[in-house]
Amino acid sequence: MAVAESSAILAAPEANTRPRWAALRVLAGKKLALIAVAYLLLFYAVGLAAPLVAPYDPNDQNLRVGETRQGPSADHWLGTDALGRDLLSRVIYSARTTVLFTVVVVVTGGFFLGLGLGLLAGYRGGWVDTAIMRVGEVLGGLPTLILILAITAAFRTRITDLAYWFEDHTWVSFAEAKTFLKFTIIAGATVPFAWVGSARIVRSQALAIRELAYVTAAEAMGASTWRVIVRHILPGVMPLFIVGLSSSMAGMAGAEVSLSYLGLGIDPPAASFGSLISEAGFIRTFQQYPHLLLGAATPVVLFFYAWNLLGDALVDVLEPRLNLR
Amino acid sequence: MGPGLAGYTIRRLLWAIPVLFVISILVFWMLRLAPGDPAETILGNRFDEEQANVLRRKYGYDQPVAVQYGKYIWNLAHLDLGVSVKYRDFSVTEVILPKLWVSSRLGVLALVISFGLGIPVGVYAALARGTFLDPLTISSWLLLDAIPPYVLIPLVQWALVLKLKLFGLGWEGFLSPNMILPVLVMGLPGVAGVARLMRASVIGVLSEDYIRTARAKGLKEQTIIVSHITRNALLPMVTVIGLSLPGVAAGALFVETLFGIPGIGQLSLEAVQLPDFDVVLALILFGSASFVLANVLIDVMYAFIDPRIRVGGARG
Repeated sequence: MAVAESSAILAAPEANTRPRWAALRVLAGKKLALIAVAYLLLFYAVGLAAPLVAPYDPNDQNLRVGETRQGPSADHWLGTDALGRDLLSRVIYSARTTVLFTVVVVVTGGFFLGLGLGLLAGYRGGWVDTAIMRVGEVLGGLPTLILILAITAAFRTRITDLAYWFEDHTWVSFAEAKTFLKFTIIAGATVPFAWVGSARIVRSQALAIRELAYVTAAEAMGASTWRVIVRHILPGVMPLFIVGLSSSMAGMAGAEVSLSYLGLGIDPPAASFGSLISEAGFIRTFQQYPHLLLGAATPVVLFFYAWNLLGDALVDVLEPRLNLR
Repeated sequence: MGPGLAGYTIRRLLWAIPVLFVISILVFWMLRLAPGDPAETILGNRFDEEQANVLRRKYGYDQPVAVQYGKYIWNLAHLDLGVSVKYRDFSVTEVILPKLWVSSRLGVLALVISFGLGIPVGVYAALARGTFLDPLTISSWLLLDAIPPYVLIPLVQWALVLKLKLFGLGWEGFLSPNMILPVLVMGLPGVAGVARLMRASVIGVLSEDYIRTARAKGLKEQTIIVSHITRNALLPMVTVIGLSLPGVAAGALFVETLFGIPGIGQLSLEAVQLPDFDVVLALILFGSASFVLANVLIDVMYAFIDPRIRVGGARG
């Protein structure tokens, strides 16, 4: 315990160990960043509580004349789509897809792989470091988008077969199984490329911190590798890791939206911003029913924008020269 | 370039070979083990087992994956990338090259816009640090960057083509006024990223001693900004330019598809959906190779720009 407490005194300035609360206070001074945080909290809350918040069932069709492609009204705030489904409800369920996707990718690719492998590589060094960073180099050198496309396209037919299997052998319905499998595939195709950047950032920080006196002191006192990493290296690494993560969030969430737009991600009837946009984005459709594209695209564009603003503000607060050599 | 750097460059290039081998094995296995094979793709609805077997034998898909891979590498060494399934009379090289020519010109023009605007915007924001103009400038460009191309393109096509009739649509060759809009849509969102990095770089330079010296000896502010601040702040941008180059060759999937431009991006989407195995494989390997080469190029460019790297060696 004594070691952990003395760490603040022994911390060298070059290894970014500025107290986190001070950084938060600077961040709080940035109005745009605060608005961005507020929007993100709202987006995540709405996404998680989608079944409670959505005014209608997002799959409830109404094909009667006058019920399809309505403009915004008191009953349907964002209007209805080509099948008479309430657009606001579909947007809210799309937010749920985006929220689940970012959480899954951040936990597995960001925290588990990015932070975990970065810490291991930086603290252990030697062949562990070499192996992890070489794998990262190979993955980092791949053209990500076309590879993710190739993976998802390659599994497309197999997904349908598997989903039928689920319907026949379990209580899960075909549509549910298909959505779940699609989700797994696109997350599985995104994660292998999502960890490399954050692992690099974490590794270089861990390399600097492990040379500091308080780490040597902890090691000399016989602290286990696990304890040194969790109690002494991790706190110093976190700020930059979070900066990197928030800067890359828009890109990760964008992968699902883009794949769904191309028909390779989450398919209708399950809701995704990508499929909503592709249904509304034909120029003739947009000319007649602009609310369909504007209503579906605005929330997700603001979501990307908020992450970008937050990432930008955090870089400014914590490490202005992060992205430079 | 100094001899040390030349050696370093060669080592980097040699190290690229095993990396590319590992990538090629991974991608080859993944594509070959995925369900469906080229025979099914070619026959489509007219699928029958007998004809499929004939095709499989003809293209060698009946052999073990390891044998197929060996043959692929052997042919690759002879610059033969295989045959396209969709364009069956053409080799993969013949399919890719004309599209690469279109995409790379599009990409270079877009990069010129991103950097041509991003660099002055970044310098401006850095010099305006502390006023509201700095966050305002950067955050406005970030908004443009946050709009995905498949949202932006219908909006601008509607506003600028249908309503204001400023541009035409449709592919009429690369050197046509119809290409102005795609180049802008591709280049302008990139301004934010360049401006952000340039801003950070300028802020770093501003605290250097030689800037204080320049001010102290009474140089004009304009001279200081152009030849002291901007010139030195440009150095880290070499990395950014270098890392943007592979993206140029990879083409712009959404811009090309939505504007009907026959480039690499459009080809990628088409090839992945079929799937056109040899084309997909060639595009991925090409993308990886250009990434590796770009990284080597970055190191060489640093040697040309930063005299300190050249010290002790021959004239660069």
